[in-house]
Amino acid sequence: MTLVASLVELVVVVSVAIAVSSSVIVGFDRLRATVRNVRGRVKRAAAPIGALAAVLLVNSLVREPVAEAAWILGVNITPTIYGIEGEFVAWVQSFAHPALTALFSYAYVFGYAYLLVFPLVAYVALEDGTPLRRLAIAYSVNYTLGLVCYVLFVAYGPRNMIGDSVESLLYTTYPQYQFLTSQVNTNSNVFPSLHTSLSTTVAGIAWETRETYPGWSAVATTIAAIIVVSTMYLGIHWATDVAAGLALAATAIWVARRYVE
Amino acid sequence: MGDARSNQPGLRRRAVLAGAGGALCSTAGCVQRARNVLGRDSTSQLSLRILTLPTDANPFSARIARSLAENLRRCGIDAQIEPADYEAILRRVLINGDFDLYVGQFGRADWTDPDQLYSLLHSAYASESGWQNPFRYTDLDLDGHLETQRTAAGIARERAVRSIQRTIAETQPFTTLAFPDSLATVRVDRFRNWTGVPGDPLALLGVESAPTASASTLRVVTNDGRITANWNPLAVEFRNRGPFIDLLYDSLARRVDGERRPWLAADWTVERSEGLHATVDLREGAEWHDGKPIDAGDVAFTYRFLADTSLGSAETAVPSPQFRGRTSLVDSVSVRDDRTVRLSFAEAAEAVAERALTIPILPEHVWRERTDPATLAGLDANRAATEALIGNNPGPVGSGPLRFDSATVDQRLALSVVDDHFLFGSDPPVDVGGSLPYDELVVRVAGSDESAVELVASGGADATVSPLGPSVVPRIGRETGLRLLAAGSRAFYHVGYNTAEAPLSNTRFRQVVAGLIDKQRVVSDVFEGYAMPAASPMHGTDWLAPGLEWDGADPATPFFGERGDLDAASARATLADAGYQYRDGDLLTE
Repeated sequence: MTLVASLVELVVVVSVAIAVSSSVIVGFDRLRATVRNVRGRVKRAAAPIGALAAVLLVNSLVREPVAEAAWILGVNITPTIYGIEGEFVAWVQSFAHPALTALFSYAYVFGYAYLLVFPLVAYVALEDGTPLRRLAIAYSVNYTLGLVCYVLFVAYGPRNMIGDSVESLLYTTYPQYQFLTSQVNTNSNVFPSLHTSLSTTVAGIAWETRETYPGWSAVATTIAAIIVVSTMYLGIHWATDVAAGLALAATAIWVARRYVE
Repeated sequence: MGDARSNQPGLRRRAVLAGAGGALCSTAGCVQRARNVLGRDSTSQLSLRILTLPTDANPFSARIARSLAENLRRCGIDAQIEPADYEAILRRVLINGDFDLYVGQFGRADWTDPDQLYSLLHSAYASESGWQNPFRYTDLDLDGHLETQRTAAGIARERAVRSIQRTIAETQPFTTLAFPDSLATVRVDRFRNWTGVPGDPLALLGVESAPTASASTLRVVTNDGRITANWNPLAVEFRNRGPFIDLLYDSLARRVDGERRPWLAADWTVERSEGLHATVDLREGAEWHDGKPIDAGDVAFTYRFLADTSLGSAETAVPSPQFRGRTSLVDSVSVRDDRTVRLSFAEAAEAVAERALTIPILPEHVWRERTDPATLAGLDANRAATEALIGNNPGPVGSGPLRFDSATVDQRLALSVVDDHFLFGSDPPVDVGGSLPYDELVVRVAGSDESAVELVASGGADATVSPLGPSVVPRIGRETGLRLLAAGSRAFYHVGYNTAEAPLSNTRFRQVVAGLIDKQRVVSDVFEGYAMPAASPMHGTDWLAPGLEWDGADPATPFFGERGDLDAASARATLADAGYQYRDGDLLTE
């Protein structure tokens, strides 16, 4: 199974998950109203969504050049990160169990895609346009600041530096997913963890909408927490990357709240 | 180290205390004392950075670096590991000299001939970039032996080669670690008759169609994406392994089954009259991939161009760092007629001089335009480089059996078979049965060994070309469609030192570092037995110097300890004997 098969699998799984959670969390009344007003609602958030689309487009175009540029402009902070936290990730992996590996791997690949896409659907379905605009802005801030960090810092993850004590659990257990993740990640750009920052951003905004979607708030927080741990458990990120990811999420949410009242 | 400037640590500490008190006393003696103390460079803990590839790119280097760093730390040295990609490492080590030490592997070089060591260690190359003396090592005695090895024959050459190996073993400009087995996996439902490992260009030319298959594309996978972005045979930071450049470009001669055979040359004759000369006849009808004929002018151009890629337009010659050892064997070259060139060699024995015939031949009409100085590059600004050395050589025009089709960076490379190449003609240098069983060779890039094996297992590729680590061997064994191939490789692992800068400029220090690596352990733990530990780069050849054979332990720099357990006290004592000082257990800078 390679890129195409993994991609089809991802799209099918995430689509089913979104369909199910749309009916359970959003509800049919809201969905019907959304279908009637979908144009107007997207239009209301046109500026932030346009900005997000632009950021994603630029991101996909410059990802390779950025990884290259980092070798010229950036600092290799891998030794510094190791100096700060040492074998912490190896300690996390000391709890490894096949069931946990499966849980964290699926959360890292499928849970993450679901977590990022579903709130777009859920917030379009709201009459109040604020959450959708905030989410779009917060995503844009995450990707933009993430990209800046990727130019400034070269960092390899623990699996690539201390491979004797940290196993590359995702790719040794499910090697097919490396074709998928290598489409959006570069192994020399792990600082900060965008998996952490974007998941936490979603959970943060879900908390703001907890009165409308109490179920989603709980689901998002749980999945985000699993993803945050998975980045370390799978040997992909250092705890330092995760800490930076949390700080990035806090910044993104702060910016979003400031600009969307 | 240990020179007149160092003084007793006890005295020094008292001096510091007294100096601090100097601020309170006003006598001239006190101030003088403070000046004595503060005027000296302060000492701090000695720190070293070990460069290594990340595990995704090489499963061994980072692990070797880890155990070395751990042992260095136990000797009181602040050792850190810095993972970096191929390009960054080669650029820092080979071009800019910006490193302390690295763990790495020599390329798929001709490591059966001791003349390799000439360009690797001769001090004439200490200031040049590329694989010539990356260690910046200078030793006049060694230079002498290296020169003798080049010019002498028979027993005199053997003696010189032994002296070279003993000098290397004693002074450790680099530490030879182990000769690995190249591991690969292939599936045989589409193509079969894999000889050697697919990382060898001849293996890719030697496959046959499986009986019931009708595949026209050979698909291979690598975890080294550089070949999808750069096809410049002269770019040192891109060329240290991989078979594809050898398939795109031909050389006059090529090593097949351990002997040099005519390749693009139909034949050559060597004669000795006022120096050593070779008259080389080219094959008839050979063409570049763009359809232009290959003539003697291209061959002569190649040797002149590699000796000075500015072709005389720069103030000093800008030789190609790649192939420098081999081009240095050629003094001059002249065109006799369309298909005949005459090479005049520098002083060298015939067997050594013929190595010069194995460099890739370049088309003059493409490369003649690339003599301008490079304007932008990640290089020292004051070091000359030409476009020829820096460019990616897009759409490479070679003359080899495969031609460039298309590429997507870090994803894919497609090459197609050149049907009228001499390999498929009436008098081929190796028998491939008149044609290849495929029209196209597609190279896919995978992120790591695991995903490369996954691609072959799932039927998305026929073979892995980048050497695999032993961690994927069990997986290959479980899959019924996969076969494991292993071949001894001369591309040995080593630790390279920057001998131009303290503390690795100190031979005694390097000897201690070499003794911190338990090579036997490295082979059993890191390579899981798929390697041979070695004390000399000539290990496994007839050239190996007596006394440097591996007999369970390193004969030159034995490990400080037993069975992987470091005897740190003994290593520290050796460093102290070499004049190094400790403070609170930390090794101090000079």
